[in-house]
Amino acid sequence: MTLAMNAVQVLLLVLLAPLVHGVISRLKARIQNRRGASVWRPYADLLKLFRKEDLVPASASFVFRLAPIVLFAATLVVAAFVPLLYGSALLGATGDFVLLVYLLALARFFLMLGAMDGGSSFGGMGASREALVSTLAEAPFLLALMSVAIVARTASIAGMVQWTMGQNFFQFSAVHALAFVALVLVAIAETGRIPVDNPTTHLELTMIHEAMVLEYSGPSLALIEWASAIKLTVVMTLLIALFVPWGMASSLSAVAIAIASIVLLLKMAALVLALAVVESSVAKLRMYLVPDFLGVASALAILAVVFTALMR
Amino acid sequence: MTQMAFNSFLVVMLAVPVVTLISRQWTKARALPAVLLMGSLGVGTAVAAAGFWRGQRFTVDVAQVASFSFALSVDRLSAFFLLLICSVSLPVILFSSSYIPRHYAGARRHWLWVLLPLFLLSMVLVVTASTPFAFLFGWELMTLFSAGLILIDGDSEQRRHNIFIYLLMMHAGAAAVIGAFLLFLPHASNFAQMRASATLMPPPLRTAVFLLAFAGFGTKAGIVPLHLWLPRAHPIAPSPVSALMSGVMLKTAVYGLVRFAFNFLGGGPSWWGYLVLLAGGVSGLLGVLYAIGEHDLKRLLAYHSVENIGIIYLGLGAALVFTANHAPVWAALALTAALLHCLNHAIFKSLLFLGAGAISDAAHTLDLEELGGLQKRMPLTGTMFLIACCSIVGLPLFNGFVSEWLTFRSFLAASEMTNLSAAIVLPLAAGVLALIGGLAAACFAKVYGVAFLGRPRSREAGSANEVSLPMQAGMGALATACVVIGIFPGLVLRSLGTLTEELLPGALLPPAATSLSSVLPWIALFVLVLVAGIAAFKRAKSLTATWACGLPGLDDRMQYTSTAFSKPLRKVFSQVYKADRTLEVVPGDPPYFPASISYRSVRTTSFEKFLYRPSVDAIVTVALRLRQLQTGNIQIYLLYIFAALIALLMFMRWA
Repeated sequence: MTLAMNAVQVLLLVLLAPLVHGVISRLKARIQNRRGASVWRPYADLLKLFRKEDLVPASASFVFRLAPIVLFAATLVVAAFVPLLYGSALLGATGDFVLLVYLLALARFFLMLGAMDGGSSFGGMGASREALVSTLAEAPFLLALMSVAIVARTASIAGMVQWTMGQNFFQFSAVHALAFVALVLVAIAETGRIPVDNPTTHLELTMIHEAMVLEYSGPSLALIEWASAIKLTVVMTLLIALFVPWGMASSLSAVAIAIASIVLLLKMAALVLALAVVESSVAKLRMYLVPDFLGVASALAILAVVFTALMR
Repeated sequence: MTQMAFNSFLVVMLAVPVVTLISRQWTKARALPAVLLMGSLGVGTAVAAAGFWRGQRFTVDVAQVASFSFALSVDRLSAFFLLLICSVSLPVILFSSSYIPRHYAGARRHWLWVLLPLFLLSMVLVVTASTPFAFLFGWELMTLFSAGLILIDGDSEQRRHNIFIYLLMMHAGAAAVIGAFLLFLPHASNFAQMRASATLMPPPLRTAVFLLAFAGFGTKAGIVPLHLWLPRAHPIAPSPVSALMSGVMLKTAVYGLVRFAFNFLGGGPSWWGYLVLLAGGVSGLLGVLYAIGEHDLKRLLAYHSVENIGIIYLGLGAALVFTANHAPVWAALALTAALLHCLNHAIFKSLLFLGAGAISDAAHTLDLEELGGLQKRMPLTGTMFLIACCSIVGLPLFNGFVSEWLTFRSFLAASEMTNLSAAIVLPLAAGVLALIGGLAAACFAKVYGVAFLGRPRSREAGSANEVSLPMQAGMGALATACVVIGIFPGLVLRSLGTLTEELLPGALLPPAATSLSSVLPWIALFVLVLVAGIAAFKRAKSLTATWACGLPGLDDRMQYTSTAFSKPLRKVFSQVYKADRTLEVVPGDPPYFPASISYRSVRTTSFEKFLYRPSVDAIVTVALRLRQLQTGNIQIYLLYIFAALIALLMFMRWA
């Protein structure tokens, strides 16, 4: 039963991820006084791309076609780490935060290689910038998760979530506050959102993620787009599960699950709204300011870890 | 039975150089040295495996025949490092059996086959010795034989200078190691005696032993700032020798430190651990940062050895801190991580250097800016190189991840300790390790992306062909090991746990250490099924030209280069590099279009500028002053003798 619930959670994450994407762009359009496309548009896009043929540069090797699949597979595995409605996950017990961070690194490493296989300047440019951002994001990501793990005294993501659920919301510690802000900053960099990267940019010279996928088309591009939607949703649900898990079902009854679904929907809506507002009101950072941005995240994460020891 | 196998392994290894010399005129026996060497290494691997997994012990004692303190004894720690040496050398020699005849002829080839087994044997001697004499004998020979192997590739002025620096630093390091052994006198006839006497030593003496061992073995391991020789000596050796030096020889230094710090001294105060941790963190960060700035493949790989030794030292340091705080369980976790990373690094770094050998064999250059598109031309070499890149970066499903994961977990465990400084410093070290991992990922995305992907940047790279079958087989064996350990870490972890439990009294490898082995195979299976499934369902591809902004003819030179790729990171970490740049512009007519521009950027590391240069200058100044004593005038020398005599007489009178 629990296993089935865990599988359903992963499926939900994977299937609803494009919808989250659609809602964000729709909201952004409304804030910017545009009509915007339907929230179901990402599904139509994916379907269209899957039906198209795969165009591969003549000079590219097998890595070019392998990269999107590895990216997608690794992102799917990460999706199995995060509790959604119920305080456990498919890989909840054995999957710890280090594995989570490094699975995302695996996905990114292959995407960078795929970008460089195209043989154009843009791919290399995107990969080079992605290398900069991801390198500097890895340490705060890991440290912030570690500070939460230290407080919860467990390394598994699901374990941390269960521990937080047992706590009183109003006894929220400084460690959690610091780790939360650090993780939000890292999440923005990891998922390539404004102000680190602009996912809707059309100017090759300012792109990071989009420059990497410039050569991709058809099913390969669909996998990449889907994976990046899943990644965004996973990171958002990770933030919710780690810091505000209250409302999640503690038993597997239908009522509890229904309540948990509604609560999750509200939390996601709040997060999506915040994202849309921020993305519409903040300008993208100059690339060499991104290290400062991530430097703030690193400092907060370091403080969070130091506080875990001081506040015992 | 296994004892006999161990003896025959040693005898055959010794016989290979003799056989090489005897059979050198006999063209039919050209493959004989390689075959003999591989055979004995195979036996050595089997023997070491029996020692490591089943805990069998072997001894060879010369004292039974002649009164001479020279003995070998293989306990589980020695067996582990023996296994590392033999099992990694075997594929390297297989690679060499084809690589050496292709690149070296006549006397140079014979010398390689004479020196290679001797070099391997000296490393075997170091890790199996049970008397200080045998250890130091092997230690010195290891340096000399490796220097000889480097010399085979030529002896230009520059190379001789590099080898001079290598030998100089090695001897300084060896002096420290000898000093560490001498401090055990008069109880230094064998290791068992030293272990017993260490418990009775006064603390200052123990600290002196530790510091000497730390400096001596640190020089060999190449920790910053004692790493200066490493990026000079490793890249100029023949590629298989580079593989052995970086992959295997550096580990003998780790063995030495583990033997001293854990086996002899049984741990010490916390600051020993913090010192090792600091050395590890600094080496790891600076090693990988210097590597990012390189575009010569072998120099880049050499700097990555500094980085990985840093990661190993992070584990060792944590283990020492845990031991000092009476947490043997977590110490076992950290020590297991460090030892496993030794094995993993030996495998993937050898593979990377063999890959560099294959590249230079096929494309005749190791300059990344001249490579590109090799994956299509050398599909097997490329795939194995990719596996090695994933391993060294520490990506899940490859072996590097397992040891880094264990290191992370031991850092996390430190938060449970009551000692406040340990509970703060060790978890923060995880951040350093994560940064090192991120930088390594950037560096190897650059290496693999520039060398193997995209389009060839030179005619040589464009006409490269796949290397010979033995070379592929050698690399294939190492690549397989990377993946097998990466997916089934339990194969090595359990016995490593037993080893650390023997080394650290009261230790028990925590069950969390093996939790990874239960999840990795499933993830691997899932990824495999998904890749196969999607690959089967994906629509047929069709080839197109790369997007060139609508312009015709995308040039190979328009690709991102290695230098361009690393520019953002070099800019962010510009404090580390501090390049000396010279720009010369010859103005033309009109002045907006210069006739020529020459740009030169030389990087001298701050260590050379601020640490080594002043001390070398000081030594030279003192030497020049002292030269004034040597006038060459015989009367002056008689005066010296007379003065010395008077001084001695006075000393005898009053002392």
